[in-house]
Amino acid sequence: MSEIKRIKVGTASCGLAAGAGAVLENFKRLAGDIPVAEVGCIGHCYCEPIVELELKDGTNIFYSSVKADDASVQAILALTENGRFTIPAERAAIEKLYVTRLAGRIDPKDIEEYKANGGFESLKKATAVTPAEVVEWVKKSGLRGRGGAGFSTGMKWSFLAAKTAEEKILICNADEGDPGAFMDRSMMESVPFQVLEGMLIGAYATGATKLFIYCRAEYPLAIKHLQIGIDAICKAGLNLLPGREKPLDIMIKEGAGAFVCGEETAMIASLEGQRGQPRFRPPFPTDKGWNGYPTAINNVETYANIPVVIADPDAFAALGTEKSTGTKIFALAGDLKNPGLAEVPMGVTLGDIVYKIGGAAPGSVKAVQTGGPSGGCIPADKFDVKMDYDSLKELGAIIGSGGLIVIGNDRCMVETARYFLDFTHRESCGKCTFCRVGTMRMFETLERIVAGKGQESDIDFLEDLGNKIKKGSLCALGQTAPGPALSTIRYFRHEYEAHVRDGYCPVNQCNALSDVALDPAKCVKCKLCIKNCPVGAISDDFKIDNSKCTRCNTCIDTCAKKAIARVKKGTGYDSTPGK
Amino acid sequence: MSEIKFILDGKTVTAAPGETIMQAARKAGVEIPGLCTNGKVSRTTSCFVCVVKDKKTGRFLPSCSACPAEGQEVESETAEVAEMRRTALGLLLSEHTGDCEAPCTMACPAHAKVEEYVRAGRKGDFKEALRIIKERIPLPMSIGRVCPRFCEKDCRKNITGKAVSINDFKRLAADLYYDEYMEDLPELNGKKVAVIGGGPAGLSASYYLRLQGYAPTIYERMPQAGGMLRYGIPQFRLPKEILDREIAHYLAMGIEINCNVELGKDITLEQLSADFDSVIVCVGSWSPSAMRIEGEEYAEQGIRWLEGLAHAKWTNCKNPGRTVVVGGGNTAMDCARNALRLGGDVTVVYRRTQNEMPAEQLEVHEAMEEGVKFEFLTAPLSLRKNVDGSLSLACQKMELGEPDASGRRSPVPVEGSDFTFEVDTVIAAIGQRTKAPAGIEADKRGNVAAARENLQVSGNIFAAGDCVSGPATVVEAVAGGRKAALAAIDFMEGREHVEAPLFNVSRGHWRSLCKEDLVYIRDNVSEDDRVQPEYISMEKRKTTFEELFPTIPAEKIQAEGERCIECSCTSKGECKLKKFSEKYAVKPDMFTGKKQIHAADTRHPYIIHDRMKCVKCGICVKTCGEIINKNLLAFMKRGFNTSVGTSFNQGFPSYCKDCGACINECPVGALDWREKK
Repeated sequence: MSEIKRIKVGTASCGLAAGAGAVLENFKRLAGDIPVAEVGCIGHCYCEPIVELELKDGTNIFYSSVKADDASVQAILALTENGRFTIPAERAAIEKLYVTRLAGRIDPKDIEEYKANGGFESLKKATAVTPAEVVEWVKKSGLRGRGGAGFSTGMKWSFLAAKTAEEKILICNADEGDPGAFMDRSMMESVPFQVLEGMLIGAYATGATKLFIYCRAEYPLAIKHLQIGIDAICKAGLNLLPGREKPLDIMIKEGAGAFVCGEETAMIASLEGQRGQPRFRPPFPTDKGWNGYPTAINNVETYANIPVVIADPDAFAALGTEKSTGTKIFALAGDLKNPGLAEVPMGVTLGDIVYKIGGAAPGSVKAVQTGGPSGGCIPADKFDVKMDYDSLKELGAIIGSGGLIVIGNDRCMVETARYFLDFTHRESCGKCTFCRVGTMRMFETLERIVAGKGQESDIDFLEDLGNKIKKGSLCALGQTAPGPALSTIRYFRHEYEAHVRDGYCPVNQCNALSDVALDPAKCVKCKLCIKNCPVGAISDDFKIDNSKCTRCNTCIDTCAKKAIARVKKGTGYDSTPGK
Repeated sequence: MSEIKFILDGKTVTAAPGETIMQAARKAGVEIPGLCTNGKVSRTTSCFVCVVKDKKTGRFLPSCSACPAEGQEVESETAEVAEMRRTALGLLLSEHTGDCEAPCTMACPAHAKVEEYVRAGRKGDFKEALRIIKERIPLPMSIGRVCPRFCEKDCRKNITGKAVSINDFKRLAADLYYDEYMEDLPELNGKKVAVIGGGPAGLSASYYLRLQGYAPTIYERMPQAGGMLRYGIPQFRLPKEILDREIAHYLAMGIEINCNVELGKDITLEQLSADFDSVIVCVGSWSPSAMRIEGEEYAEQGIRWLEGLAHAKWTNCKNPGRTVVVGGGNTAMDCARNALRLGGDVTVVYRRTQNEMPAEQLEVHEAMEEGVKFEFLTAPLSLRKNVDGSLSLACQKMELGEPDASGRRSPVPVEGSDFTFEVDTVIAAIGQRTKAPAGIEADKRGNVAAARENLQVSGNIFAAGDCVSGPATVVEAVAGGRKAALAAIDFMEGREHVEAPLFNVSRGHWRSLCKEDLVYIRDNVSEDDRVQPEYISMEKRKTTFEELFPTIPAEKIQAEGERCIECSCTSKGECKLKKFSEKYAVKPDMFTGKKQIHAADTRHPYIIHDRMKCVKCGICVKTCGEIINKNLLAFMKRGFNTSVGTSFNQGFPSYCKDCGACINECPVGALDWREKK
């Protein structure tokens, strides 16, 4: 008899992408009578696929980077010591799992398992008091919207609660659009019932009659799990709130992929069947929202926080900092060892997240982009900043939805800004002049700079136009779109100046400003570079013709002796300089 | 609800509940510009030209949608707000393309409304054509014959064939109606202007002065007025009887022309400046440049020689015999062709190749046709007079070296290539210079130093024409004369002279465009060949001074008008983007970058949808959706590529009632009727 009570395979998107599908199949095939469950994501995306064994003695064992072959699966079934995974102590000391407590630990499709783990207790607690008291709890907890703007959730709910209308609408913003942000996806995939419970409590507190979840269509698994959740809730009758005659109407609306639809007025327009474009506020959605009805919109993570808040508002308020209470889930991506999700109390320093949780090598990081394309970069010398709404704002960045893109030392900050402006100029809704045309003109200027065709005046141009775009745009997309350029200029002006004044890229990332050079002193003449060069740019006597070279980096990656490197244009041994 | 009081630029303004800042401001007499609002459709806040600043928060608000709060302080007229509006307009201009003016009009030094007079001519209304022409070109008979046709060089018809023969519209319209046409002349206002020089610039200045009620008096040193038109341009290009008719009109307008009066001899600038309210100096550029070779004195000076022919009425002149003309400009061509007609055996010597010749290629071509020989890459070295009276012109062959300051490749002598022409006459036509009248400062090239913006020399003295620009064309002189006249008028009235710049957002020069870029508002634009003049016989061209070809008749010119593409914007004069950009002094190139590329949609028989002009304000979408209830237009795509289109890009469906509501509301003419008034 096996000691294993249950096998849990992490099959959220991150797990599936790493091969959890095959792992799951093989465990099902080889585990005999042991039940195999699909669970969500525990946040350690860097070591997916992850398999957790629940043992009969009540303990559990994690295995990371599990391979799907029979031998590996059988070894795990035999409780091998190899491949076991424990959360690094340094990380465990910082992380505080409240909102993600159940993520990756329970079957997201099973309402009973959620209940067994304390699910819907908060709903029960909330519906036992008056809606006004629930709003007061949320206010008292200090919970601020996790979508980016950081507006008090309790205040927003109180606005909606104060309205009298035939219908009142509550929307869950699940249009997570920032590149490098995936905490909402993970919550919906891993603990959909927790999100839905938050919404039910919200509906009770505000008197909302209709609930929408506006989820991007690129999250099929999230949508599937949410729909299963909604069906289960309706079947259990949880959608008929105490004191209501009619059950709540809960619907998922799949977004068609426009970044701007994460903006609340654009989202409402999209839900109405209109083109997703923001509109001028006032009137605010709580006055006039979906089809004219009072409407409130909260983010997925905000709703996922609600059960935690309701369970103990005072404890929640005690977490984090004075003005930013509770925890925040950050999505770590970019140049670091351990990409994934981490839930930490507000006010933890950025350095702790990047180095202690993210595992980035000390000294390897140049900056972190927070808040995605709407945010700004924070240079490494400011990593002692406390991660809360107000501290980041002072640095010209935003906490945003919690995406942290770690930028390593070998990345060019001009190119980084160009990358984000490329995103925003495409994703502008196209309505306002400053955003539609201005971001394009900024993008073109950045393109010129990385192509080595910039002028010194371009830096001032970017700053001037960027500040005007901030002032002259209607919605947060336009108001924040220049952020990546403005903050990189603010902290890395010297990199811009190197491009436009001195004609080189300080990290030799920009192809137009870099050459590839071979150091004859290090070269052992193995010829691997010559063999692998796709364009024949390396001669038999190991000279690189930079006018032929496409800067594909193949030779650099191939060279075992690290004899080949990108260098400042026109420098470097006796390679032929590029055009 | 009670009225809301707020502060707009320091003044208290009242707004009714629900009224926007823009609406309240308008009632208070402050007009806030905006493109995306018309008060009829729901608020859009797209263009952000209407921004105002909330003083307290420092935020910029779209005044078309923001409603004032009680006591709110709003700034609309500050430099900061203006800068934001300028930026918004500049950004819109950077994605907008539409040819505010047609390229021909832009190319014309006088900015004559070419498209308009060609259209009038096409419709057979040559009197109207003449009226339009004379707004900018008061010498249409002469210019209709001698203009080098700047307009045609930039004509977009060059993409699919040859340029529209624009200048022939001028010639025909003038031939038909010049004599009978008389402007509405205002009463003289008592102010007098002395115009020194009766050439194109002086005549033009006089014309526009008289049109505004000022009394010009022309002083001309020659026996007759006309300047270079009479004493430089040969009879066969501009018959002097035609010039006489043209000048007769000036006399009929009451313009006084005093001939045989020379500045510095019979009159002085000082005296004229004291006697008249203003003086305009248009003395031309009449000093021949030297060849700087030994024996120079044996050569005729080109313009002097031409002047002599004019005085002698052309036909009575001596046969110059074997002739060499030195030079590659228009004067050289005129000398050569005159010499040919007088029986000479003519060779033109030019030190570069035909490509570098400053002369009009048409004239070079005509000269060649007539039998003028050309020795290119040849430079004179010395001139010697032989005992028999004949001349020996020693020359040297040249080759082209590096480009010089003018961008032309400079000639370099070829060693040992010397050779000699044995001739009877050598005419040096290598250029002219200005001799600035005494008491007038000259610039470094010797031309009259006049201020660029208003052609003012000093005090009440202005100058125009060749004497300011150096030798140039008649149309440039005419443009300068008008400019000096208008500047002098402003001076006399004590006004600041502000020249309205010709605002234009061009689709680009035809060389950078292809056929698909052309926008045809008419379906039946003719693709026939360009009309050709019927030259007189070659025999006559070689032996007589008869005009090269008669004026092209009306039916052919009307047909030629069918070839015109009508490039300029249909919304000329109504475009809000242009209006506000001019008001805020925004230049079209304030920002540059990518523009969307769309072919104009002309599938509808009466409506053109030119999305290259669209500023995405969405008024058309809302007008059709909210007012007409048809929803035939919608936004497509997003980001920079946002555009307005019809369902599945199928064009307006049959149930579009062609009501034109969208057209009426479009601020930039992106949607318009397919006709021009």
